[in-house]
Amino acid sequence: MSNMIQVKNVSKEFKKVIKEPGLKGSVKSLFHKKTEIVKAVDNISFEVEEGEVLGFIGPNGAGKSTAIKMLTGILTPTSGEIIINGQVPYKNRKKYVKEIGVVFGQRTQLWWDLPLSETFTVLKEIYQIEDKAFKQRMDFLNQVLDLEPFVTSPVRTLSLGQRMRADIAASMIHNPKVLFLDEPTIGLDVVVKDNIRKAIAEINKNEKTTIILTTHDLSDIELLCKRIVMIDKGKKVYDGDLDHMKEKYGKMREIHITLKSDNDINKLSFAEKFGLTGDDIDIALDGKKAVVKFNSSKAQVSELLSYILSTITVKDIAVGEADIEEIIRRLYKGNENDETAHGNAAAVEA
Amino acid sequence: MKWIGHVKRVYGGFTRAGAQGAMAYKFNFLGFFVGESLYCFVMYFIWKAVFEASGESIFMGFTITDMTLYVFLANIVGFLTNTDSTQMLAEEIREGNIIMRMIKPVNVDMSLLATEIGDKVVMSAFIFLPVMIGVEIYRYFALGYVAFNILMFLGFVVSVILSYILAFYLNLIFGYLAFWLMNIWGFSILKGSIIKFFSGSLIPLAFFPDIVGKIFEQLPFASMVYTPVMIYMGKLQGMDLLLAFGKQIIWIIVFIAIAKLIWRWAEKRLAVQGG
Ligand SMILES: Nc1ncnc2c1ncn2[C@@H]1O[C@H](COP(=O)(O)OP(=O)(O)O)[C@@H](O)[C@H]1O
Ligand SMILES: [Mg+2]
Repeated sequence: MSNMIQVKNVSKEFKKVIKEPGLKGSVKSLFHKKTEIVKAVDNISFEVEEGEVLGFIGPNGAGKSTAIKMLTGILTPTSGEIIINGQVPYKNRKKYVKEIGVVFGQRTQLWWDLPLSETFTVLKEIYQIEDKAFKQRMDFLNQVLDLEPFVTSPVRTLSLGQRMRADIAASMIHNPKVLFLDEPTIGLDVVVKDNIRKAIAEINKNEKTTIILTTHDLSDIELLCKRIVMIDKGKKVYDGDLDHMKEKYGKMREIHITLKSDNDINKLSFAEKFGLTGDDIDIALDGKKAVVKFNSSKAQVSELLSYILSTITVKDIAVGEADIEEIIRRLYKGNENDETAHGNAAAVEA
Repeated sequence: MKWIGHVKRVYGGFTRAGAQGAMAYKFNFLGFFVGESLYCFVMYFIWKAVFEASGESIFMGFTITDMTLYVFLANIVGFLTNTDSTQMLAEEIREGNIIMRMIKPVNVDMSLLATEIGDKVVMSAFIFLPVMIGVEIYRYFALGYVAFNILMFLGFVVSVILSYILAFYLNLIFGYLAFWLMNIWGFSILKGSIIKFFSGSLIPLAFFPDIVGKIFEQLPFASMVYTPVMIYMGKLQGMDLLLAFGKQIIWIIVFIAIAKLIWRWAEKRLAVQGG
């Protein structure tokens, strides 16, 4: 299979104006602006095959949106090269965007004051879609995204989940070859998130659309992507198999305990009982609330739970997955200790 | 000429969206309408005083009826050709909504223009028509006969549309300057005064000393208010009329070219905020 997306050594720098405080600073800045360079994306390379779904993950401020803006032709890279669908996005933007679809989760491309159906009619004209093809397309999108119940409502009256479904439909109306989804599940509740993920998976399966999806929510990735690229502070820190990464860095689980008495936590000895020491365990106590983070490849969740429950009395107990910050933290550590890390963990300066 | 149909299809959607958006907020016009009408009456009384003080019934080729017509028409043309493209663009860049235009296969300037035209069409229906009817009724009672001329009126409509496109691109160029100057506030006040003065919306250009008036008439600003008003009043006929249209069109081409050049430069340097 050929590569649909090729990104080579791409960086993007922004000039940020530094404001000096007070009136004097404001006056001074009228004549001489002090600027500082922010490297939002720092020398990133990767490739995506046709029909692949790539998860682009990283914490807030990592540079995901900036990367998507370069891939979609909105921003021009400071340096580096991008070729998508045989074209350079920022060279001939108008031609390039005819064959891509874009959703930015935090904004909408729907016409705010118009009924949703009007947005689709407008898009039909913009992309010059034939009547028959348009009807077929709407039928398909309707079936996958279930737009029927709110298609005649003005967009401003839609719920966030409905709006997101409609936005994805709008980005798909012209049969794009590549779909860019920037945080498509942000702010949605669990059930709606799940629906959206299923719809994206179905679109990919049905249409062989190449998809790049950014998120800071790891659970988005599980259903959708085999492969992920992880970035942090603008740099690529991991590129490879999702399962491999989870095995290596993501086996941290959390047990949240609400204690009856703060002293109880000292009665637990995970080192003695399970051999969890050093990096494999971390206990944080805040009043009566304790969080036990541990490496679940070294000890079973169920065993820990029954040990805790049989040793002390607790008011409440819950199990959670480690979040992305935790994985990145461990990723850095892993790279320091283990230079031969597999899954192409990219070199990082700690 | 196939491209005309193409443009209409692609950008017609933006126009319809703009119009429907404006319909949603149509009552906002009401306050505006009252304010503008008050301004017109103040201007009317000032000019009436000027005419009475001068003791002559015709001043520089204008009767008091002409002057009244001029005040109301100049105001309505100023209103119809008033454009928010600078603010629209600056705001879309700041808030990042310009992204939504850039991910579609359209020109950013044309799509902004099409959206605003939709808005204008609705406004015209709500404000322009009532004012027009009022003006014609006044003219009938002042002159004693119907002076309305359908050909002049059509010429006026075409000229207003050209005026608006001209104003739009002039304004857009000011908007692009915001890329360098960041703060466009002082700048846009200066621009407002320049347009008010040179476009004839404050004083008819015919009232200036001969040479000065002639020079002003060649400038793009005159094409923005003075020209359509003079056409409506029937003061431009035959060759003068064609010449006036020609000037409007030439200025439009010049401004579109400048705007395109700047945009091509600026597009590469955009730093759209927000995710
Ligand atoms: N237009 C801009 N000007 C200056 N800094 C910017 C601009 N856009 C983004 N940044 C900075 O670049 C970094 C990456 O931002 P972004 O790509 O939005 O991250 P993410 O989408 O991963 O949360 C942030 O530090 C942000 O403040
Ligand atoms: Mg983002």
